[in-house]
Amino acid sequence: MSLSRLMLITLASSLALTTQSAWSEPLTQASEIVERANIASYYAGDDGRSAARMMIVDGDNRQRRQFTLLRKDVNDGADQRYLVVFSRPADIRGTVFRVEKHVGEGDDRWLYLPALDLVKRIAAGDKRTSFVGSHFYYEDISGRSIDLDNHQLIETTDEHYRIESTPKDPSNVEFARYQTWINRDTLLPMRTDYFRDSDEVFRRMEVTRVETIDGYPTGTEMRMSDLDSGGYTVTQFRFSEYNVGLPDNIFSERSLRNPPRDWLQRN
Amino acid sequence: MASSRCLISTRSGRWSAWALGLLLSASVGAQTSDSLDWGDDDGWGDDPWAADNQGWQWFGFVEGAWAERIQNDPLVPDDQTLAEARAQIETQRVFENYTVEAKADLWADGVENDTQAELRALHVDTTLGEQIDIRAGRQILTWGTGDLVFLNDLFPKDYQAFFSGRNNEYLKAPTDAIKLSWYGNLTMDLVWLPRANPNRFITGERLSSFSPRAGTRVAAPPKIDPIERDELIDDSELALRLSQSINGVEYAGYAYTGYDKQPSGFDRQQQKAYFPRLSVFGASIRRSAFDGIVNAETAYHSAADSSGDDPDEPNSQWRFLAGYEHEPVSNLTLGWQYYLQWTQDHAALVSSLPQEQKPFASDEYRHVLTNRLTWQLLRQDLTLSMFTFFSPSDADYYLRPRAEYRFSDQLTGTLGGNLFGGEDDWTFYSQLENNSNVYARLRYQF
Repeated sequence: MSLSRLMLITLASSLALTTQSAWSEPLTQASEIVERANIASYYAGDDGRSAARMMIVDGDNRQRRQFTLLRKDVNDGADQRYLVVFSRPADIRGTVFRVEKHVGEGDDRWLYLPALDLVKRIAAGDKRTSFVGSHFYYEDISGRSIDLDNHQLIETTDEHYRIESTPKDPSNVEFARYQTWINRDTLLPMRTDYFRDSDEVFRRMEVTRVETIDGYPTGTEMRMSDLDSGGYTVTQFRFSEYNVGLPDNIFSERSLRNPPRDWLQRN
Repeated sequence: MASSRCLISTRSGRWSAWALGLLLSASVGAQTSDSLDWGDDDGWGDDPWAADNQGWQWFGFVEGAWAERIQNDPLVPDDQTLAEARAQIETQRVFENYTVEAKADLWADGVENDTQAELRALHVDTTLGEQIDIRAGRQILTWGTGDLVFLNDLFPKDYQAFFSGRNNEYLKAPTDAIKLSWYGNLTMDLVWLPRANPNRFITGERLSSFSPRAGTRVAAPPKIDPIERDELIDDSELALRLSQSINGVEYAGYAYTGYDKQPSGFDRQQQKAYFPRLSVFGASIRRSAFDGIVNAETAYHSAADSSGDDPDEPNSQWRFLAGYEHEPVSNLTLGWQYYLQWTQDHAALVSSLPQEQKPFASDEYRHVLTNRLTWQLLRQDLTLSMFTFFSPSDADYYLRPRAEYRFSDQLTGTLGGNLFGGEDDWTFYSQLENNSNVYARLRYQF
C-alpha cells in the first residue's frame, strides 16, 4: 500500500514536473507517457513517508491493515528501498517488512516476526500475489516494471491518456491485457482495467482521491476491485511527506528489530 | 486417578468453551457496519508513532487449545498433551528515549491440573548515542539461519510446548538477559545472561522420551530433575554475533560460552543429570540465489569432555546446515534443509559406554533432511503447511502438518499435528512416538 502511495507520490511529483508540457501539447508517445507515469506513481521526491491503512471487504467479512511506509530511491525510475512497519491487526502488529527493490532482477525481502525475534529472509517469488491479504498485489504496491509489457496509446481525451498494455510473456500473468487511464496533468494513473482473453474486465484499480503533497500530486485513496466476487480493498494514505531526508542506514536489520522511531513519528 | 483426570478434563473443557463463547461473541460484535467503518478517531491513532503520546498501550489474546494423543502412551496417564485456556496481556509505553514492554500469560492447564502464570517479557529498550541499542530484561532472543534447526542459536527453546501442540511462538522460551547491539561497519550483538537459561526440555511429566540408562522409554515419576545452574554471575552465559551484509549477502560469525541447553551430563555421585559446560564457534551465510534464498551455517560445539571418552558427558560436535527456499508456484513456498551432526571421538565414546547402552549410542554422523511446504489460499486467510524432519541415518521422522484459518482480524483457528515415528525406540524423533498428537486451537486477539 505504502508502495502504491509512494508510487502515487512519485506520480504526483512527476505530474508536477510534467504539468506544463501537458498544458500545451499532449504527449504522443506511449513509452514516454508510461515512463513518466511510472516516475509519478512510484518515485516522487527522493524519499517519502506515509501512514497507510486498508479495508479488505469480502461480503460481510471486513479486515483491516495499518502500517507506516518509508521509501527511499536509490536511482530515479530504478532501485528503491522500503520499510513497512505494521501496527494492525493484532496478529501482525510489530511485524516489519523490508524490501530492496531491484528493477530487472529479483527483490531482496526480509520479514521480522517479533514474537520469535526472527529475521526471516523471503524468496522473491511471484509479485502478482496478494499483499498482506488484500486485493492489491505486491506489484500494485511497488510498481510493475514497464519493460514487462508492450504499451500502446489508444486514446487521448481532454483529461486522460488511455494506454493499452499487453504482456510480453502472457504465461507469467493472470490477465490478457490492461488499460490505464492516465491523467494528462498529473500523469497519475487514475484507473486500470484488467481484461481476460474474452475481453471481459475482471479486476479494476481506481484512484478515488488525489492530493498535492509537498508539490507532488499524490493518490491518497484507491480501490482495487475483484469484479468476479464483488470483493474489494480500499487503501488510504495519510500524513504523507516527501523529501524528508531518510538516511540510508535505516533500511537495515537494525530497523527490523528496532523500528526507527525518529523517522516513523508523525510531525 | 482416572476419575480425577476426568474431572480435570471436564474443567478445562468448560474453560475452553467459555473462552470460545467469548471469542465468538466478540467477533460477531466486531462485524456490523455496512459502509466502510474505520472505527473510532477515524482509526488512525493505533500506531505507536501517532503524534500524541498515547501512554500505556494494551494488547492480548485469549486462546483455547486442545491436543490429543493419537495412540495411548502406557507411561503417561493423560491422553492429552495439551488442554488449556490461556490469556495473554501485553503492554508497552514509550518514555522519551526508553521503551518499556511487558507480556504475561495466565492459563488453566488441564494436563498439569492447575492454573499457571508466566511473565514472558519485561524489558527496557534504549539507544546510546547513534550506534548502540540496548535491551535489558526478560526477552525472546533468536539468531542464525536455520528453519527450526539451531546451530549457533543457544538461546532457550521450549520443546515441551513445541511438541505438545502450542503455537510456534512458544518454541522460544524467554531469557533474562542484557543485549547490546553496536552498529558500525559491521554489527556486533553481545548477549549476557547473568544466570544460565536452559531449554524447557522433556521432564517426563507431559511427554515421554527414551532413557539410555534405563534402556527403555520413560516418563514421570520420577521427573527428570537436573542439578540446576542457578548461581547468579557464576553460572552466567555469553553469546556474541558479528554480522555484515554486503550487496545482499549476509555474513555472520558466532561465539558462545555457557552451558549445554539440555541436561546432557550425568553426575554419578548425585545420580542426577546436569548441564555440562559448552563453548560454540560458528559462521553463517545467507543470500538470494537460484530464484530463492540459499543459506549455509556451521558450528563447532566444544564440549568439556575433550578426549570424548567420558560416557557421562556429551562429546564435541561439528554441525553443518545447508538450506534453500523458493516459491515454485504462486502462493506455494518450499524450503529444503540438509543438516549434519558429526560427533567427534565417536569411537572413544562408544567404547566407554557400558555394554547395555552401546546400542543406543547416536551415530557418528547424524543426517537430517527437512522440508517445509507452505500453501496460502483464500487470499492468505487459509494457510496449509507441512514441516517434515526426516533422518536417513536414524531412520526416523517428525511431521508437523498444520491448517490455519483467519476468520477475521481477531479470530484465528488452527488444526495440526505432531507426528513422530521411526524404526528404533531410542533415536531422536522416534523416542517421542507415543507423544504423537493432533491439536486444535482457537485464538481471539485484541
